[in-house]
Amino acid sequence: MSYSAEVAADFRDALQDLKANKRLEISILTGIAKDNTEHAQAISEELEKHIKTTRPEWKLPALYVLDSIVKNVGTPYTVYLGRNMFPTFMAAFQLADEETRTAMENLLHSWKQPVPDSIDARPVFPSSVTQDIEKFLIRFRAINPQNPLPQRPPQGLPRSLPARPPTQGQMNPWNRTATPPQGRFPAPNDPRNRTGPTYPAAISPPIAIQPAPVAQQALPTQTVDFNRLMADVNQLLLNCQTAHALVPTDVDTKEKLDALKGLKGILESHSLPLHQLQKIREQIDNMAPPPTAQQVFINNPPPAPPFAIPAFQQFAPATSTPDPALNLTQILFPNGVPWTTTPMAPTPSLATAPLANPAAPAPFTPPPQLSGPPLITPSLAQMLAQFCQPPATPPVMAPTPASHAPVMPHAAPSAPVAGSAEWLLNALKGLPPTGTPSSVQATPLSSEPMTRQTSATANAEVELSSASMKRPRLNLYTKLYDAYPNLCRTCGRRFTFTTEGKEKKARHMDWHFKVKDPDAAKRGTHRSWYIDEKEWVKYDEVDETLPEQASNGDGAKAVKKEAKDKYVPVPQDVALSQAPCPICQEKFEHQWNVDANEFVWMDAVKVNGKIYHATCWEEYSRGSTLAAPSTPDSVLGKRKAEVSPAGLGKKGRVN
Amino acid sequence: MMNLPGLNLATPVADAPPIAVVEKHEHNLRIYTEYRFEVSFARTLTIKLLEGTAEYFGTELAPTQTYSFSGTKGAIFTWHGCRLEVSGEAESEYVAEETGMVAYANAHLALEGLRDRGGLEGGPRVLVVGPENAGKTSLCKILTAYAVKVGRQPMMVNLDPRQGMLSVPGSLSTAAFSSILDVEEGWGSSPISGPSPIPVKMPLVYHYGLANPEEGKVFKPLVTRMALAVISRLEEEPLSKSVGFVIDTPGSISAGKGGVYDNIEHIVSEFSINVVFVLGSERLYSDLSRKYQNRPTDEAVNVVRLDKSGGCVDRDEAYMKQFRQAQIRAYFFGSDKENGLAPHSQTSDFGDLNIFRIAEDSSNAYGHDEDDMYSRPSGIYEKTIPTLSIQNSLLAVTTASPADRQEVIRDASVRGYVYVSDVDETKKKVRLLLPQPGQTPANAMILGSFPEDVPGLVS
Ligand SMILES: Nc1ncnc2c1ncn2[C@@H]1O[C@H](COP(=O)(O)OP(=O)(O)O)[C@@H](O)[C@H]1O
Ligand SMILES: [Mg+2]
Ligand SMILES: [Zn+2]
Ligand SMILES: [Zn+2]
Repeated sequence: MSYSAEVAADFRDALQDLKANKRLEISILTGIAKDNTEHAQAISEELEKHIKTTRPEWKLPALYVLDSIVKNVGTPYTVYLGRNMFPTFMAAFQLADEETRTAMENLLHSWKQPVPDSIDARPVFPSSVTQDIEKFLIRFRAINPQNPLPQRPPQGLPRSLPARPPTQGQMNPWNRTATPPQGRFPAPNDPRNRTGPTYPAAISPPIAIQPAPVAQQALPTQTVDFNRLMADVNQLLLNCQTAHALVPTDVDTKEKLDALKGLKGILESHSLPLHQLQKIREQIDNMAPPPTAQQVFINNPPPAPPFAIPAFQQFAPATSTPDPALNLTQILFPNGVPWTTTPMAPTPSLATAPLANPAAPAPFTPPPQLSGPPLITPSLAQMLAQFCQPPATPPVMAPTPASHAPVMPHAAPSAPVAGSAEWLLNALKGLPPTGTPSSVQATPLSSEPMTRQTSATANAEVELSSASMKRPRLNLYTKLYDAYPNLCRTCGRRFTFTTEGKEKKARHMDWHFKVKDPDAAKRGTHRSWYIDEKEWVKYDEVDETLPEQASNGDGAKAVKKEAKDKYVPVPQDVALSQAPCPICQEKFEHQWNVDANEFVWMDAVKVNGKIYHATCWEEYSRGSTLAAPSTPDSVLGKRKAEVSPAGLGKKGRVN
Repeated sequence: MMNLPGLNLATPVADAPPIAVVEKHEHNLRIYTEYRFEVSFARTLTIKLLEGTAEYFGTELAPTQTYSFSGTKGAIFTWHGCRLEVSGEAESEYVAEETGMVAYANAHLALEGLRDRGGLEGGPRVLVVGPENAGKTSLCKILTAYAVKVGRQPMMVNLDPRQGMLSVPGSLSTAAFSSILDVEEGWGSSPISGPSPIPVKMPLVYHYGLANPEEGKVFKPLVTRMALAVISRLEEEPLSKSVGFVIDTPGSISAGKGGVYDNIEHIVSEFSINVVFVLGSERLYSDLSRKYQNRPTDEAVNVVRLDKSGGCVDRDEAYMKQFRQAQIRAYFFGSDKENGLAPHSQTSDFGDLNIFRIAEDSSNAYGHDEDDMYSRPSGIYEKTIPTLSIQNSLLAVTTASPADRQEVIRDASVRGYVYVSDVDETKKKVRLLLPQPGQTPANAMILGSFPEDVPGLVS
């Protein structure tokens, strides 16, 4: 399999799981496309194929993936996907129900526009692509008058999707475009923006603080919403302040507080390039309950919590964003704080704890208010340190509408990035400003004293002692996940995104595919005998992520194969597959061989086109000059994993 | 924290009508919390991860799977927050704010540090001790799962015969884990003749045949034997050596007779243990740390205390019995996931079977009845011809020949188990259930008193 094909296969796997308009999944798929633009052609083909072949009700989500990719990544996908857009679109449209058709028409409409909030004024797809489809639609509607063309959305909301109920209250920008912009940061200098005096005014408030429930259907993708980011940071800051107020002596809280202040300062005073904003966003989302947790909250209005309003709301009446301070206190006092009574009691908030009903024994669902933005962890500080590097190219005012470069209106030369680095470092370290940017880079910061370590030596510094076991090291635990971000969605095993990691995953996916063989299930399987001591001591574990030969070459370990260990693949030839052993006339027993990755006949050898029991053959040929042929190497692959029942029989083949 | 009314008290299943959760519902877990549940054997609870990340005793849930649990008490923990969809019937379920995971993850990180620095000495050799239901097995799973997650191949040793690892109860076993643990099936599955959706594990199995290591005289020799195999394997495999191993133990060896922990000491010395995790017993911790405090550096044993998780559930004998039967059933018939295995039923003559019954009073063999012929030091087993009394029992098929000395039979690993489904004393025939087709094994077979009979395994 070529590498391109592997990437495409990964993409296809993820795509096949997409059965609803899931924002998270769509953004993951978009991410894969974005990270692999060199394989854009293979990915585009995969996507087209999927839209063509998947069930009608799953076509729309897949089209949203397409939409998200062309809007957020752009070329070369627009080129590849544009080529076959007409047949792809048309085929899907014809199978779709009326609601989906409406949604698709809106998609098409949005493709005739520039990417929302982008400074690139060109439409998403060139008109050569969209025109044909438009013509088709007009004819289609003419032939099907019972399905008249839906009314064009009103001018003010040109891209609204009628399929989704409009939200009450504030309108989220994502609702106005099929899929929200992601990779392209909104360009505030774009004259089309109603940019007010403050930078992010054109962007609606973050969804997290939207008060009204929205449709169950998740929005397709996410964007770096500056306002929302600020809101989240502010919320964290507030929570941290709360925690700090509760336990003023705690150094960790203080340091986290300072780190957050630093982050806020940087966000407010500097124009960070898009990728840095994305990193911050990602980081915050990573540390948080998944980005969707907030959506969960708004999507599924929960039963009213049985307890009083969490205390922090008194500190923060202006927002309904959930409160991570609870987590914070929990982390600071893993064995309980004075005001938390039990591990299960949902009463960790200061104001309500004393009122908690101690008799409430029932299993409970956590008040959803508690789900919320992340607890800030030191890894954020580490990440920030890296932002203190002077940017390779200083932000420039570049109002040319053709440029995709992120441009900020407030790029303030008076507040140099390096200066803010020092400022932040001070905040984090409590040290006088001495650090140069390069020294910052060399030693990533941690705001947690006992976990001040680089990832390379992180493990070495967790002391093995009873006291040490109680100390939280939150930034280290998430490395269990972060170090292996490439998840197999079928079984949960993780890989890296390095070339090696991707290769391993590809082999792993192949393995999944093979064991899913529906024929395999039909043949009766049974428990195998365990291997004996000697075999076990020499046994090489089978690793499906390694190439076949990797565990084969160890000559020193290769034990001389005994007859019973020999096997041949179950023959394809029907007559041969039915034939018994010519010597004993008994049939062969097939079993799955993990190493060969196919069904084999154990204790078997092939001689002159016939298959014999290896043990029968050995007995027969003993004394003659014929040497029993060995199992061919191509079949051997690795050491056998299966144990044949031979050796236990009363014939005493081996014993 | 264990005495919250109605939450995790072990109530006999029969008395308390289960709190039935029939409706499909969702749980939003905040970061660092866990969803705890108990499902009886008669019911099934399914859990699907909708958003975020979640892990079951250290093994991550895949976002595309729906996991079903039955006869399980467990917890789904999240480091990042998650949304779970739950349906089915649980005896109890709740979300816990305070979990033991920080300490367990610290334990993993500390072991990783030792692995990185291990050098020629190899990775940490870890023993987990503590009373029954202190969370020992759960900790072992987490440590194994995390090591696998970071790309290691850790080795596990189970010395608790009450609960089999990759085998039936009554066995002691060890295996290296190069692939993820099976969320639904505890430790996973030993090899089967067909493909398996989770890679199988390759255990080395010995048969103990009694419930309690403190009885009988077979436990220590088996520990010695197993240590030999494990250490040989580590010498063969430098990669495994650098990771080391973790040993799970039964609660009984932590009880201590007058402050003496005979079996613990034996394990520590046979396996050259250098890290002991003590779960949930202050006294055991203080006894052991005193015992091992003044050792020369090259034999140092680091005794570390870990708090018992508030989630641990006391499992009564009724539950444990059902648990054992489920393990035995799964050995022959597979779990659902293995799509049902097809064991082989066949009839054998009495003469084909070489059964060695563990001698009743073997623990008192030394000293007391010296003239009793079965109580000689070598009287570990009594050769037995089949009688009705062995019906429904499990025989361990050893690698030893019936002609071997009893010590050899004792020390032999097992190839598997056969189940005696019927005994016809007049025709002198037994009906056996074998895991796979083939002739009746002529090897020495061990018959112990544990696990107990499993009536009706074959109907
Ligand atoms: N955090 C937890 N939440 C829910 N159940 C748990 C938790 N930890 C352990 N258990 C359950 O409690 C029981 C006892 O734990 P276990 O690890 O088997 O203890 P031990 O091995 O010390 O006897 C098991 O059924 C286990 O699944
Ligand atoms: Mg246990
Ligand atoms: Zn997988
Ligand atoms: Zn033959």
